[in-house]
Amino acid sequence: MRHHNALGSRVADAVTTLLSLLWLSPLIFAILLSFRPPNEPITNGNIFFGSTITLDNYRAAWSVAPWLTHYLNSIIFVVGVLIVQLVTVTMAGYAFARMRFRGRDTLLLIILLQLMIPSGVLIVQNFATIRTLNLFDTHIALMLPYWGSAFGLLLMRQTFREIPFELEEAARIDGASLWQVLRHVYIPLSIPAYTAFALVSISSHWNEFLWPFIVTRSESVRPLTVGLSKLVATTDVGALYNQLMAGTLLVIAPLVILFMFFQRRFIESFARSGLK
Amino acid sequence: MRMLRLLTVIMLLFSVAPTITAQETITVDFYFPTATATITNPEAGESIEAVFNRYAAAFEAANPGVQINVVYTGSYTDTRNTIQTEIAGGGAGPDVAVMLTTDLFSFIEEGTILPVQDFIDTMPDGEAYVADFFPAFLLNSLDEEGVIWSIPYQRSTPVLYYNVEQFAEAGFDAPPRNRQELAEMAQALTLPDGQRWGVWLPTEGFPIWLFSAFVIADGQHFVEESPSEVYFNTPQTREALDYIISLSRDYGVMPGGTLSWGDGPSIFTSGKASMLFHTTGSLTRILNEAPFEVGVAFLPSGTAGEDGTGYGAPTGGGNLYLFANSTPEEQAAAWAWIQFLSSPEIQSDWGAATGYVAARRSAWELDPLASLVARRPQYAVARDQLAFAQKEFSAYRTIDIQGIINSTLSGIISGATTDIEGALTTAQAQIDSLLAEYR
Repeated sequence: MRHHNALGSRVADAVTTLLSLLWLSPLIFAILLSFRPPNEPITNGNIFFGSTITLDNYRAAWSVAPWLTHYLNSIIFVVGVLIVQLVTVTMAGYAFARMRFRGRDTLLLIILLQLMIPSGVLIVQNFATIRTLNLFDTHIALMLPYWGSAFGLLLMRQTFREIPFELEEAARIDGASLWQVLRHVYIPLSIPAYTAFALVSISSHWNEFLWPFIVTRSESVRPLTVGLSKLVATTDVGALYNQLMAGTLLVIAPLVILFMFFQRRFIESFARSGLK
Repeated sequence: MRMLRLLTVIMLLFSVAPTITAQETITVDFYFPTATATITNPEAGESIEAVFNRYAAAFEAANPGVQINVVYTGSYTDTRNTIQTEIAGGGAGPDVAVMLTTDLFSFIEEGTILPVQDFIDTMPDGEAYVADFFPAFLLNSLDEEGVIWSIPYQRSTPVLYYNVEQFAEAGFDAPPRNRQELAEMAQALTLPDGQRWGVWLPTEGFPIWLFSAFVIADGQHFVEESPSEVYFNTPQTREALDYIISLSRDYGVMPGGTLSWGDGPSIFTSGKASMLFHTTGSLTRILNEAPFEVGVAFLPSGTAGEDGTGYGAPTGGGNLYLFANSTPEEQAAAWAWIQFLSSPEIQSDWGAATGYVAARRSAWELDPLASLVARRPQYAVARDQLAFAQKEFSAYRTIDIQGIINSTLSGIISGATTDIEGALTTAQAQIDSLLAEYR
């Protein structure tokens, strides 16, 4: 029996390792390619580092765009979105989880319908709104459409509903206001859900291209993805995969580092919040 | 009280001052796409963006009161989407933009661009200005009546690259002149087991461009003057398909299926293919990367051209467009900017920096392009081939029709479509129904 278990766990280990290698393969491929000399394409049987390891691709990729400005803009963008989202999803999540008001379920349904509308179809309308508000080509224009999040609202509503109502009652009896209840009961008990939401929000907005591209014209507000697009748009010269991979690694580096630092917490959060 | 009055005056001054300067300075919003972002002439060592900023600074110095706002707008497709979204959303759009030459008819239909002809007509030397452009490059600027709508800027054309070292090893001292020669020479150059292919003719994704070189050389391009007529289901198309398929099936000089466009240059520069059909846009990159001597030749002549007359190639790339939303002052400044960018001096600099084919004859007599050609004669081949070039495919509903032609060609070349006759007939019928409303 024990023997069987050990074998089972070894098989499970092997499968997990294999799967994680499969998931890692694009990253490994990108790293290998980014250090290969530019004129050595990957061919059959020749897939590792080329004749020499070079930083030329990184140098070339770095010269294409003002990356430091782009890094700063991407950070401003994702942090600016996340902070406001945390406020809106907390308040809306609480309202839909615990408050009773007319039309609550209908309203929730309408908000959830948003999840099914691809954001691309709203671009022209959103663009017109940004123009009317005179926000064109600003950091705020990038963030504005994302300040409400149907997904975050749903997540927080479910999380708050699972918190025993007795805890709120007890706090209320002790004289806590609504804000104090949120601050001392709901928010601390929902940290895993917040962490999971933050990760999803950060990574999706970090990778956002079309909207930031459409509402900005100045390099001083444009995020990393716009810089990366310069390495993609090379139809007239053929694909420059080595440079593109170097650029891609530069762009994802902060996210990868962030994930490595907080890995344990992220995994716990996903496990606890039931997200996959 | 006096203090208050003083404050009011100061505030008034502040509120008025910027509007005065705003009236004096005309800003030209210039959108440019890029298809070569990272390719820079190593001697110049600047990005495309830096090149444009340098031009803008020179223009502003010569034209006080005009400011050029240089904006990068992604790929050609991103640029079109950006402009269309901006105008649909009530925005002003650019004053000048570089866009695909083939966007012409859709922008005419949408009413977003102005014909530059109106401005050329006001020039004292307008005719000489137009005559200095290579006629092949102007073809995509014209509507049915011959009105000029756009000015050639970053233009290209496909050529045949060949590996001079591998040619010498096989005993060849000149490139093939026609398709028969190309196929036979490729056979001698091919090594077994895919170690080396004789030729790499990309057909993946956007085959229409290279493919049109074949039908042009055979005497029937997909389009003529009228943008509402397309000739796809023709003997020339079948002939070209037969030839391309035979390169892998009968001659065995090319891998089967559709071949990658993007990988072409690196496959060639790493010696895995002896010949490559590709754009002149990749010439600078190929010369820089190849560790061997690179030859550049005309595309092989077609069936009509056993005597050497049947050369043919499409042109490609982007033109300068003028937009209708601008004020008359902005339009005047925008036209001055277009003239500046299309001047022989800038075309010479731009051609040398990027590898695009300078669109004006006089640009080739000026440095830095003249000295570049003297050092690297490969740059002159594309220019000389322009004598046989036709327009890039462009019609009403260009994008839809390109899509039909591309998927039909890919289907046939990849082998997924076996009924070639049927596929061509269906495609032609689809195209004709799209164009029916324009006839």
